[in-house]
Amino acid sequence: MEFPIAGVFINPVILALTGFFVGLLGGFFGVGGGFIAGPLMFWAGVPINFVVGTDLAHMTGKSIVSARTHRALGHVDLRLALLMIIGTIPGVEIGAQVIEHLETRGNIDMVVGLSYVGILTVIGLFTAWESFQAMRVKRTDQLDAQEVVGIETLIHRSRLLRIPPMIRLPVSGVQEVSVWSIIFVGLATGILAGLLGVGGGFIRMPLMIYILGIPTHVAVGTDLFEIVISAGFGTISHALKGNVDVLIALTMQTGAVIGAQIGARATRYFSGPIIRMLFSVLPIAAAVLVLFKLLG
Amino acid sequence: MTQKPDTSLQKDPSFKPILRSIAFEIIIYIPLATIYTLVVLALAKDILVHIYSTYPTIYAIATLLAILTQGVLLEAFTSWIIRKIGLRA
Repeated sequence: MEFPIAGVFINPVILALTGFFVGLLGGFFGVGGGFIAGPLMFWAGVPINFVVGTDLAHMTGKSIVSARTHRALGHVDLRLALLMIIGTIPGVEIGAQVIEHLETRGNIDMVVGLSYVGILTVIGLFTAWESFQAMRVKRTDQLDAQEVVGIETLIHRSRLLRIPPMIRLPVSGVQEVSVWSIIFVGLATGILAGLLGVGGGFIRMPLMIYILGIPTHVAVGTDLFEIVISAGFGTISHALKGNVDVLIALTMQTGAVIGAQIGARATRYFSGPIIRMLFSVLPIAAAVLVLFKLLG
Repeated sequence: MTQKPDTSLQKDPSFKPILRSIAFEIIIYIPLATIYTLVVLALAKDILVHIYSTYPTIYAIATLLAILTQGVLLEAFTSWIIRKIGLRA
């Protein structure tokens, strides 16, 4: 099938299957999946200048499907999501400014690449270790480990920062948390997203769990809601520059719609620690991919 | 500090129902998606290409609206069909 905007012929079945696979992962883990979709699109024949913008457009559509399914399951905390956006937007700008500064000093690829590998490896290993601890608690103490977090102390310490105003998050089951903690999580994710050029789902999701104490299922759903907004802005920005082929994005979305629904509903069949254990593979896989790219 | 919600009721130890439901959903969805891609995208192609080359701002807004609308409509349509044939509660 011809996609005249990007000026390429691509089998739409490959695009739909790519969408399905990324949708499945996104719905289950609450990530945009840009680090997987991008290389797959490039491999399918999408020109490199259209990959990022088209992926963002596809990510927006896929995430709204997953977010709606998660919302129906009660997994989206709108109050938390909206407060995080306050930090995310300036964070992305700060990250972009740091990139500009690094560009003027040269060797940006190595600095950003190594930061990326380091951050992803730490997140992946930490999440794997923590979820293993949580699953062990479940086995030994026969506790309901649906939302047991292996390192309660980190959440407890972050709650000691009782800087007003404090807020209640009933959807997440959090009685009192400082608004600044939420904005901080949004800001930190935004800086990393702006610096590394990613949506930030696989950074935001663990931060919500380990810093704010949000249950895994709600963190996944709320993260998807955030992605709809951040990827939506990115889509507009890239489309204005002519880097989005909406026909490719729409074709990918036909597969992503069913994948995202299946992924989101599948979270009901796994406990929080198991979702986190499976999730830990994603950042490590992404780190390995980036490392190969740097060494190559 | 944290009230952990009782989510134990959400868990279903049996994978059989969801696997059967997923298989049926995919079987129903593939022909629908194929028809949709061939008909709707073929119709919209010329208009979108024209907007892309002539009005970048309108193209940017149309891209976002198209992707959001398609996502919501396809999801609602698939869910409706699945509910109609009793595969999902």
